[in-house]
Amino acid sequence: MMRRVNALALTGLSLLTGLVLWEFAARDISRVVFAPPSAVLTRLAADIASGVLPLALLGSLATLAVGFLLAVVLALPLGFAIGRNAKVAAMADPVLNAIYAVPPVAMVPFLIIWFGLFFEARVALVFLMSFFEILVTVAAGARNVDPMLLAVGRSFGAGRSRLVTRVMLPASLPFVFAALRVGLVRAINAMITAELFLAAVNLGALMKHSAQRFDTAGLLAVIVLLCLVGLAAQAGLKSLEARLLPWHVRQ
Amino acid sequence: MKYNLLGIAVALAVWELAGRALGADLFAPPTVVFPEYVALLREGQMLRELASSLRQMIVGYGVACLIGIPLGVAMGRSRVCDALLHPWLSMFVVTSVASLVPLFILVFGTGFMFRAAIVFVASIWYVMLTVYHGARGIEPRFIDVGRSFGANRWRAFREILLPALYPYVITAMRIGLVHAIRAMVVAEMFIIVGYGGLIYRAGLSLSTAPLLALLVTLMLVGVAANALLRSGAQLIAPWYERRVVSASATQG
Repeated sequence: MMRRVNALALTGLSLLTGLVLWEFAARDISRVVFAPPSAVLTRLAADIASGVLPLALLGSLATLAVGFLLAVVLALPLGFAIGRNAKVAAMADPVLNAIYAVPPVAMVPFLIIWFGLFFEARVALVFLMSFFEILVTVAAGARNVDPMLLAVGRSFGAGRSRLVTRVMLPASLPFVFAALRVGLVRAINAMITAELFLAAVNLGALMKHSAQRFDTAGLLAVIVLLCLVGLAAQAGLKSLEARLLPWHVRQ
Repeated sequence: MKYNLLGIAVALAVWELAGRALGADLFAPPTVVFPEYVALLREGQMLRELASSLRQMIVGYGVACLIGIPLGVAMGRSRVCDALLHPWLSMFVVTSVASLVPLFILVFGTGFMFRAAIVFVASIWYVMLTVYHGARGIEPRFIDVGRSFGANRWRAFREILLPALYPYVITAMRIGLVHAIRAMVVAEMFIIVGYGGLIYRAGLSLSTAPLLALLVTLMLVGVAANALLRSGAQLIAPWYERRVVSASATQG
């Protein structure tokens, strides 16, 4: 208990020191080039109160939801299929590695050609960026199911379908959650990337306007908001995991 | 190996069929991209831009590795460092590189510093995170054995901890490199310079063949760098490969 309290105190101290350093650095150098945290926080509060930021966020999240759900629905079964079949895995491996090596942003010109500049193209980028991440992680999970568990199931007379639903699925659920967490963070990245690189809308439009007016407080307010959304998404999935998979004790 | 090649062949065949069906203005098939690729190689601009972009990227990525690896080890081995650094790590790992680009342009301009800084910020946290998991996961037994054979702290660090960390350091460098290349392209496409600028401009042409050729080169760079680092890991510590893969997959 004492240890936890100490760690929390140190974490708080570290964050506080960082904020203070940032504040002084920003004040000493130039407020125009880099806004201090106090200005960013007041800006964040003002933009949330005026409804500008929540409205833009809502629009952005709609893109995120559609693209991410599509990616999950397609990548989970496909990942399992690849992971459980050694031949398919060997065939998919070099192709997936090759596709994975191409930065998704480089696909943006393609997405423009196929889907235009608006909602469909943004959804496509979110899908693209999270799909492969989820696929690769789930495939690794399905491949790494402890063979002993499967053997025990088999010797107790479980048929193929029971083996899949009762042993393999639960055993690879931790990987599914890991895939969802990584995929969701990537999806959030993709969401803002799409709004900056395609037609500027929602949060991306706010950032572009702020950048044009050299308004770093406005820029940083959006960045802080995005960071909070990412952290909240991670925390949400982690607590869901703890509730659904109590046997999978981490740390 | 046989199935690896079969997989590549199937992918190429599918690409060819899809390309023929859709046409070169939507999705150029490999038989159209290949001559275009040779032409781009001959012309030389593609490789020149690639080399200069990679040079700038290497600076940001190198600094990220130099700082990120020791910090990751410190976080993994010391509770105090972990408590101090972890909040920053968690925040920056979820922050999108693209969202930082407009800010960095205002702060650094659009020159060398901007690109190096973006690559640095994009890769250091992933390097730290991977090394951190590696350093935490080292069997306490190894160190206990060393201690009971009379190794002091420094020797235990140098002769037990460091060798046990090598494979994780290489994995961290691999993951960091993926993010560094991504960040390079993001930064360059945003201000339309360097290799990313080439990609952006290729997207405006009528045929998708030059665009695909540029992407293939990027793919080859990524795959080659990955293979190089992977064979390095295999050389230094062949027994670790599996463990690293499963550990990094569950911890994201």
